[in-house]
Amino acid sequence: MSAAADLDRTLAALADPQRRRAVDLLSRGPRAAGDLARELDLSPPAMSRHLKTLRESGLVEESHPAFDARVRIYALRPEPMVHLLRWLEEAERLWSEQLAAFKTHLEQDK
Amino acid sequence: MTSKVYVALRVKATPERAFQAFVEEIGAWWRPNTLFQTTPRPGVLSFEPGEGGRLIETREGGKVFEIGAIRVWEPPHRLVFSWRQANFPLDLHTEVEVGFEAVGAETRVSVEHRGFDQVPAESAARHRFPDQVLLMRLAEFWRAQVAAVGDTVA
Repeated sequence: MSAAADLDRTLAALADPQRRRAVDLLSRGPRAAGDLARELDLSPPAMSRHLKTLRESGLVEESHPAFDARVRIYALRPEPMVHLLRWLEEAERLWSEQLAAFKTHLEQDK
Repeated sequence: MTSKVYVALRVKATPERAFQAFVEEIGAWWRPNTLFQTTPRPGVLSFEPGEGGRLIETREGGKVFEIGAIRVWEPPHRLVFSWRQANFPLDLHTEVEVGFEAVGAETRVSVEHRGFDQVPAESAARHRFPDQVLLMRLAEFWRAQVAAVGDTVA
């Protein structure tokens, strides 16, 4: 599939407010489908449909805990948003350090 | 929450002195760190003053790496330059704005580093994104993504 089609799919998946809320919850950590349904106050079938869309968009992935193959755990996929966050974090750390160094230089160097 | 970084602090100096030190003495105050991950030994940073001037890193042996170019030169209040560090992905082009604002006898120095959600035209062409509309939507996409992750970054 082309990058543009991928992107369309991702954007379409995020167009729905309930799916955005699901992504928001998953950004704090992986969750079972049942827990997501409860937190979003959705019926299990409705939750299941949303998760299918999110999965197909490449935003989330599904896994099973080792102890029970019937339980489905959903997690945000790290690509590509994690890349952006990494740059943001790195930039913030960089400028915090450099501005502090700048201040030290400026105030000791009379 | 947006896809930019904002950091500020106060220094005991006038805006004039702070601007001058920021630009002319960056080689002295800039601390080498993990920024230039691709080079084992970081070099010395320097600005070529004035609009269009470059921000460069001169490595041992005289090799020069261009970090960016000055886009706005308004001493002693405002300085904007492009920013591409050596370990950035090829498509990532960002911009840094430095502000110097007098607060009593001191100066508030702020740094805004932005453009992490921009998709440059070359990249769009490479991925055959059809038009500007899609680029806008991509920027929106990033914003939504970052908003979803919440306050993990400032």
